[in-house]
Order: sequence, then C-alpha cells, then structure tokens
Amino acid sequence: MIYTYSFYGFFFFILIGAALSIIFNKKDRLSTSASFISAAIASIFGIIFSLSVIFGETFDLALPGSLFFNFGFSVDRLSAFFILVISVSVFAVSIYSVGYMREYFGKKNIGYLGFLYNIFILSMILVVSANNAIMFLIVWELMSVISYFLVVYEHEKPETRKAGFIYIVMTHIGTGFILLSFLILAGGSGGFGFEGFRASGSTMPPLYKDLAFLFALIGFGAKAGIVPLHIWLPYAHPAAPSNVSALMSGVMIKTAIYMLIRVFFDFLGAGVLWWGFLVLAAGAISAILGIMYAIVEPDIKRMLAFSSIENIGIILLGLGASMIFYANGSPALSAIAAIAALYHLFNHSVFKGLLFMGAGSIIFSTHTKNIEKLGGLIKKMPMMAILFLTGVLSISALPPFSGFVSEWLTFQSLLLSFSSGDSLVRIVLPASAAVLALTGALAAFCFLKAFGIGFLALPRSEHAEHAKDANGPMLLGMGIFAVLSILLGILPVYVIPFLDRITGTFTGESAIDKSISSDYFGTIIMPASQISMSTPSLLVFMLILLSIPLVILFLSGKKQGTVYETWGCGQPVSTARNEYTGTALSKPVQIWFKNLYRPVRELRATYSVSPLIKQSFKFESRIGQVFENHLYIPVTGYILSKSRMIKFIQTGSIHAYLAYIFGTLVILFMFVILGGK
Amino acid sequence: MEEIVFGSGIMQLLIALILVSTFMILGSTRLYSCVRAFGMQSFLLACVAGIVAFSTGKTDIYIVAFLTLAIKAALIPYIFIYIIREIKVKREIDLYVNISPSLIIGGILVVISYYLIRSINLITELSSFALSASMSLVSIGLFIMISRKKAIMQMLGILIMENGLFLGAISLTYGMPLLVELGIFFDVLIGVLIMGILIFRINRTFETIDTDMLKTLIG
Repeated sequence: MIYTYSFYGFFFFILIGAALSIIFNKKDRLSTSASFISAAIASIFGIIFSLSVIFGETFDLALPGSLFFNFGFSVDRLSAFFILVISVSVFAVSIYSVGYMREYFGKKNIGYLGFLYNIFILSMILVVSANNAIMFLIVWELMSVISYFLVVYEHEKPETRKAGFIYIVMTHIGTGFILLSFLILAGGSGGFGFEGFRASGSTMPPLYKDLAFLFALIGFGAKAGIVPLHIWLPYAHPAAPSNVSALMSGVMIKTAIYMLIRVFFDFLGAGVLWWGFLVLAAGAISAILGIMYAIVEPDIKRMLAFSSIENIGIILLGLGASMIFYANGSPALSAIAAIAALYHLFNHSVFKGLLFMGAGSIIFSTHTKNIEKLGGLIKKMPMMAILFLTGVLSISALPPFSGFVSEWLTFQSLLLSFSSGDSLVRIVLPASAAVLALTGALAAFCFLKAFGIGFLALPRSEHAEHAKDANGPMLLGMGIFAVLSILLGILPVYVIPFLDRITGTFTGESAIDKSISSDYFGTIIMPASQISMSTPSLLVFMLILLSIPLVILFLSGKKQGTVYETWGCGQPVSTARNEYTGTALSKPVQIWFKNLYRPVRELRATYSVSPLIKQSFKFESRIGQVFENHLYIPVTGYILSKSRMIKFIQTGSIHAYLAYIFGTLVILFMFVILGGK
Repeated sequence: MEEIVFGSGIMQLLIALILVSTFMILGSTRLYSCVRAFGMQSFLLACVAGIVAFSTGKTDIYIVAFLTLAIKAALIPYIFIYIIREIKVKREIDLYVNISPSLIIGGILVVISYYLIRSINLITELSSFALSASMSLVSIGLFIMISRKKAIMQMLGILIMENGLFLGAISLTYGMPLLVELGIFFDVLIGVLIMGILIFRINRTFETIDTDMLKTLIG
C-alpha cells in the first residue's frame, strides 16, 4: 500500500508544484516557494517510495487505456535506487533553489523556471521507471527537451543559446543511436516491452547483440558524457542556472548510467568479455581526459562540468570491471565492482550537487564564474566556504569523506583481478587502476586550485571584495549534502550491504554472502587476498601522522619566520596583483601535457609611429579544442559536403515539390497495378 | 439498390461529364473558362449527390447536394472571379506543360486510375467506375497544381482534388454522416478564403502571383 500512496504522492506534488509556479507567475516570491517546496515534498515521497521498493517488492503499474502499446511503470530495486538518488538530490537542490532564485527576481520569468524544473524532475523519474521502449523514448525526449529549455533559460546571452544548440544536437544524436539499439532489441523480442527485451535479449544472434550493445553505449554515452561524446557538457552546464546544473550534472547524466546497466546486464545478459573491456577503456579515457581539462579551466562551472566527465569515467571503470568479472564467471567480484560503481554514482550526485550549488552561491554574490577574479572568499563567506570545502575534500577522494570510500572500492575491485584466471584481465584491470590513481591525484590538484585560488588569499577583484555569505535556504540545501557526504564517507558499513541488495538483482550474486565481508569500518575483506582498508582507522592514522610535525614544532619551542598573505610567495604582498594565480598554478601540468592540450599562445603588439615604439601588448593563452578540431569538424564537414550533393532536389519551387509527391504517387499506383502486394 | 444507382445510365453520363469538365480545365488557357468549368464540375457533382439522395431516400444527402450546389458551384467560383477581378491579373495562364501534352498526360492518368481501381477490386464492377473517375480527378488536380504557374491555379487544383475525394466518398459510402460532410464543406470554404487572402498578399508583396518567383526560401 505504501508503494502506491508514495508513488501517487510524488506525482501529485510535482504536478502541483508545476501548476502553482505557473499560477503565481507574476509573484516571484510566492511562485518560487510554491514550486520548489512542492518539489521538495515530492522528493520525500520519492525517497519513501524507493526505500519501500528496495526493502520490499518490485512495483508494477500498467497504465490504463493504452491501445497500441502496453505502457506502464515497473520499478525494481535498480530503478528504485536511481529514484532514491534523484529524490535525495532534488530535496537538497529544491531547498537551495528557494534562496538561489532571488538572483532572478524581477529580471526573469520565475514561474517558467519553476514549471520546467518540476517537469524535469518528473521526466527523470519517468525515465528510470518506464517499462516500455516507446514510452521510454517519449519520456527520454521529454527529459532532453525540458533540460534544453532549462539550459537556455538565460537566453538573452548569445553564448547560452549556442551552448543549448550544441546540447540539443548531441543529445539527439544520442537518441538516434538509442532508437537503433531498441529497434534491434525489439526485432529480437517482437515487441517494445522491456519484459520482452529481458526474455529474448540474451538469446539473439551474437552480431545483433554486439550491435545493440555498441549503439546503446554510444547513445547513452552521449548523455552521460563519455569522451569523445562529452563536448556538450562544458558548454551546457555553465550556461544553465546553477540549481539546474546541480541536477543535470548530479543526476540527469546518471539516468544514462541506469540505462547502460539495464541494457547490458538486464537485456543483453552481459556475457561478452570485450564489452567489459570497451566500457573500461571508455571509462579510463573519460576519467583521465576529463580531469586534465578541468585542471586548466578558469571558469568554475566549466571546471565542474569537466570533473563530471571524470567521475562518469570512474563510474564506468567500476561498471566495466563488473562486466568483465561477470563474463569471466566470477559474479561475487562482479557484484563488488558494481557496488563500487553505484557507490561512486551516489557520492558523485551528492558532492557534485554540493559543488555546483557552491559555484551558484559564488556567482550569486560575486557575479563572476572566473576563479582568477575570486580570492579571499573564506573571509567573506565563511559558512559557504566550509560547505564548499567539504565538497572539495569529497571529490578529491580524501578520507574520511565520501569520495574516498567509493574510489577505494573501485581500486579494490580492479586490483582483485589478480585472482582471475585470464591473463589479459590480470594486465588490463590493474593498468586501469593505475589510470584511476593518476586521475585521483590530478583531481586533488584540480580542486586544490579551485579552493586555494578561489577562497584563500586576497580578493582579486571588486566582485570578490564585496561578496556576502549565502542566504539561509542556500546554506541549508548545501548543508544537507555536506552532512550526507560525510555520512557516506564514515558509514560504508551500512551503505555497502544496502547497495548489495541492488547489485544482487543484476549480477545475480550477493557480494556480502560470498566470502566477502564488510567489517565495522567499512572494509571489504576477501579471505583469499586480504586486501583491506578502513576509513575511520585511516583517519586516526592520518591525524597521528599530521600531528608529528606539530608536536616537533611544539617541543622545539621556537617560533621562527614571518607570516605573510597566502599565495604571496613569501613577499610582503600589498595588492592582489602580486599573488600567485590559478593559471600559474596549473602551468606545470599544461607544460607536461602539451601534446594533449595543444595550447594556443598569441602575442600582439600595437605600435604608434614606428614599429620600434610599442604602444601596448596583448597576450592571449588558451587551450586548443582538440576534439572539436580533430573529430567533430572533419565529421560534420564530411556530412555537409555529402548533403550538398543531394541539395539540388531542394529547388525552392512549389511545383517541383508537388511533382515529387505526384511522381511518388504514380509510381505507387503502378506498383499496385502491376500486382505488388 | 446501390448497384442500380451507380450503374444507371444517367449516373454514368454524369460521371463522364465530370471527367469532361476536368479536361476542359486542363485544356483551357483562360482563367475565366477554367473557373467556369470548375463551376460546371461542381454542379454535376451536386447532381450526382441529388440522384444518390433520391434513390436512397436519405434526407441528409439532399442537404449535402444543396450545399455542394451553393458553395462549390456558386460561392467558390464567385470568390475566384472576385479575386481575378480585384488583383487585375493577366487573364492568361502561364504553363510549365503545354496544352496538348497536358491533355495526353491527363488521359494517361485516367487510364492509370481505371486500372488501379480494377486491380484492388474491393467493390462491384459498376461503382468502381465512379471510384476510378474520382481517382482521376485527384491525380489530375495534383497535376494541374504542378503544371500551372499562377497561384490561383494551385487553388483550383486542390479544389478539383477535393471534388474527386467527394465523388469517391459518395460512391463508396452513399453519403457520409451529415456532421462529417458539414465539417468538410466548412473546411473547404475557409480554405478557399484563406488561400484567397494569401493570393492577395503574394500579389502585394511580389507584384505577381506567379509562384515561379517564390524560389528564394531555400536554405
């Protein structure tokens, strides 16, 4: 009973929120409260619903009156987990939005955003609970289109409109591939119901299975942001309002991961080894490239968008490892890797939501996204700075915060491949663990830069000088996520068995029962390999380690040296212009990986009278757009040149168009007359 | 009884005359005579509807017949003549396909339609005659839209297609429900009015209603 009530409760409140925000359209304050508080209430129902499914039975609901297709909802534990992730994010982000929307009061149409926001949440929930391919595609498109409108909310800026265009093109390319994949699956099962896909997907001929796998990987990969299909993220996420980017980056791209798990494990049976390797490779490339682009990015929201690509990569590393173990016939290991992937997915939705909300607060009070123009925010917005720091520590995978646990689990599952019989697996998986290690180090560096340059030292501009701390609802929304990311970091002992209930449904094995135990400190202990690590004990160890220099300092008794400003390089800094900058900090990385970044440097001088007398210099340095220049421009160029070849049929003459119809009609007539059936 | 209606000599004659009127439109180079031929075609269609009404005894088909007479045979030709007079267009039709090839193509289309209806053989031999005539009207109407340059002729072509559909509908069903028929009449009337306004607009903007000039919209 609780299923049905909470399910309908969710729909009721989300629709009420959408309706009220339109009704109160002209009253900014009322409209904001109505729409976002409704969304928050709806998300509580979503949490109740998902928990009751995870600890109870699968929920099925057939929609009445569907004449051609059997539309309906089917929520198993996997779907319920994603509903949980979405609902938790929506809850915190909605509370945050109540405060954040004040930014737009009097400037923009608030009711419009509130309406789209609620419908967007609705569409995400529908995406993870649809049980029919046609219905899925409809709600998937709804999600894409609504998120497009949210991205172009500030459409008066030309770059926002262009960002929206890139997003909608990429997402439709993705949908095209998803459609192909579903058509292959539907060809196998003779219907569009997911039930049928499940029954016949694994018995299709190998070629069809491979094609369905590849198309699904490309299609959903475009939404998830797998390199090289990632190009829309760095444009769309910064363009959207920050509460929307928190949801888009935190949960919308995760719906693609949901469908990847659904298609690979549930429909296709995941029995093919090279699929796992491909997913693993995609994950490794996305992780390393995502974070490397994030490091050199001065725009804080773009940096977070690149970091989302990295985190999707880490999730895919776990998923790929899980698929490899599954194909190799070790379901217990597969379950551990899947737990790692889902754990990281949940963590990422929490800390990335937190960081995007933090970025929103920065924009809210300083009106700039450029890290180079910030500085000193820890004194101007102390509460916000602490919350942001929590997110930074989580995403940098430092214990005892949440990012550490899930990345550590991913490491463990990759390194557990030593027990595998297949030598290729024994080589490739540890190699990807090495990539993950590099990624983690670079991520820590990246967020060191973000926090160090943005929050410490002296304010670097007028904007940062007059910053004020975020308002109550914003701090509350961020606080929920901050607490959650600490809890997820220190309580894996409860989280892992919880996730085990979910992964057990698609890997077919419970990791907890089978020779793997999770001790009180959240350690995975394999009797065979004895690899273990516990977060809280590690924390104690680190505290002891850190206190040694302090103790030595204390014992030596003398306090030497002078205290200068942070980033002042030991010089008596008087202005912010003398400080170390973010670009300077990331310069070494840019030099090491010059071949990847392909930096563009230009020095232009203007002179008066004679070239010998220079008037001014202008220096510009930026990162080359490798994927745009070397992949997308050649491909689009090729398509355009081929399209031009058939352009002659577009004459612009009405008569010619009518003649096409007429000719087709006559040919069809002849076909019928000559006995075509 | 149905077979008696469409098999009877008078019915055959009327349908043949409808075809003849279509060929008059196809073979004419003057706008006025085209409109006149269209009016005649609509009048013949009203007669067909009248005979069907008489032999089936349904009152709604009398209404349909009357409406055909009033709207298609009188009002629409009047609107046409009004437009032609108002925009002071040259009374001659510009053609892509000349008169004699047009007539030959029209003839071929009639033959194709006849064979098409024969090959699907869903109904009796006799009412298939009406159906093949209706098919010819549709395809000739489309052909007129293609081969004539003036926007008015495109309008006329679509009305000929509509007449063809009307003939097909009445020969298959012996009268659709009155509500549907009324809807269609309303549709046609509004369509003609809108197209008329559009033609005025085109004329004002481009100083001509020659659709050959409207080629600038390609990407």
